[in-house]
Amino acid sequence: MLDLLLPLITTVFAQADAGADAGRAIALGVGGGLGAVGAGVGIGIIFGKVIESVTRQPEMRDEITSIQWLGFALTEACFFYGLVAGLIAFFL
Amino acid sequence: MSKRNKILLGLAGVYFIGITVIIAIFGFTRRDNEEFAPQNEFKTDPWIDLPGPLDFNKAVMYLLIAGILTVLSMVYIANRMQARPNRVQTAVETLFALMRDNITHGNMDDKMARKWFPFIGTLFLFIWFSNLIGYIPLPTNTEHPIHIGGLEIPAFAIYAATANISVPLVLALVVFIAYNFEGIRVKGLRGYLASLIPQGITGFARVPIFALEFLSNFMRLLSLSVRLFANILAGHLIILFMSGGLAVLLGLEVLGVFTLPFGVALFLFEVGLVATLQAFIFATLSAIYLGGAVAESH
Repeated sequence: MLDLLLPLITTVFAQADAGADAGRAIALGVGGGLGAVGAGVGIGIIFGKVIESVTRQPEMRDEITSIQWLGFALTEACFFYGLVAGLIAFFL
Repeated sequence: MSKRNKILLGLAGVYFIGITVIIAIFGFTRRDNEEFAPQNEFKTDPWIDLPGPLDFNKAVMYLLIAGILTVLSMVYIANRMQARPNRVQTAVETLFALMRDNITHGNMDDKMARKWFPFIGTLFLFIWFSNLIGYIPLPTNTEHPIHIGGLEIPAFAIYAATANISVPLVLALVVFIAYNFEGIRVKGLRGYLASLIPQGITGFARVPIFALEFLSNFMRLLSLSVRLFANILAGHLIILFMSGGLAVLLGLEVLGVFTLPFGVALFLFEVGLVATLQAFIFATLSAIYLGGAVAESH
C-alpha cells in the first residue's frame, strides 16, 4: 500500500512545488506590472495638471513645483509598495 | 554634422556593433545561473561579532559614514562662513533656505518651526547623505572577495543603509513618537484624541471616523518607512539587474551589452532625482505630521 502511495505523494508534492513557483512569479508580475499601471496613470495626471496650472498662472511656478515633487514621490511610492510585496513573495 | 551628433552616432554604432559581436561570439542561448542570488547583495553579513543584535555589518558602516559626513561637512562649512560666499557655501545656503523656508516654515507655525527646524534639517541631511553615499561603490562585498597577491579584498559594491528596512523604520518611529508627544503635550491626551476627528462631523459618525483616523496614524509609520526603503531598494535592484545582473542570472551574454545604457541612465536618475527627492519627502512629511499634531483645526 505504502509502495503505491509514495510515488503518488511525491508527484503531488512536486506539482504543488511547481505551482508555488508559478504563484511567486505571478505575484512578482502582478505586483510590479499592475502597480506600475496605476502609478503611471497617477504620475501622468500630476505632471499634466502641473503644466496646465503653470501655463495658467506662470507666477505660481515655484510653489507648484514643490507640490509637484511631493505628489510625484507619493504616487511613485505606491508602485514600490506593490513591487516590494512582489519581491518578498518571490524571494522569501 | 555637429560634434555632438557625431559622438551620439558613434556611441549608437558601438552599441549595435557590440551587440552583434557578442551574439556572434557567444550565441543566443540561455544558461540559467543557479549560484547567483541577487538577494544576497542586500544581505548584511556580520563583520565583527558583538553580543546580541549589535553586530557590525555594512549597513552599520554606511550609517556611520553618513552620520560623520553630515556632522563634519556642515560644521566645517558653518565654521568658515564668509561674507562673500564661494560656490560650496552658496549651495549649502540654498539647501539651508530650502529646509528652513520650504520644509519647516511652510508646514508649521513660527513657534513650532523654530523649535523643530534642527530636527527636520538633520533628518533631511542625514537621509540625503545616506542615499547619496549608497551610489558610490565601496569595498563592502565580502561574499565575493578579490584575491590580489594573497590579500583578500572585498569586491566593490553599492549598498545603502536606507535600503535596509530597519533604518527608515527607526527614523519613522522617532518622528511618530515626536509628533504624538508634541500633540499630547500641547492639547492634552483627551484634546489630542478629540482633534483626530475632522471638524464638522457630529453624532454617531464620529466613532468609526475616530477609529479610522487612529489607525491611519499607525499607517503613517508604515508608509513613511516603506516609501524610503522601497524606493532605495528598488533603485539599487534595478541598477544591479540593468548593469549586468540580468546577464549573469540568465547566462545570456548579449543582455549585458543590451541593458548597460539603461543601467547608466537609471543610475543617473537615481542619483540626480530619487536620492534627493526621497530625503525631501521624508523631511516634508515629518514636518507636516508635526505641524498637524499641534494645529488647532484638523
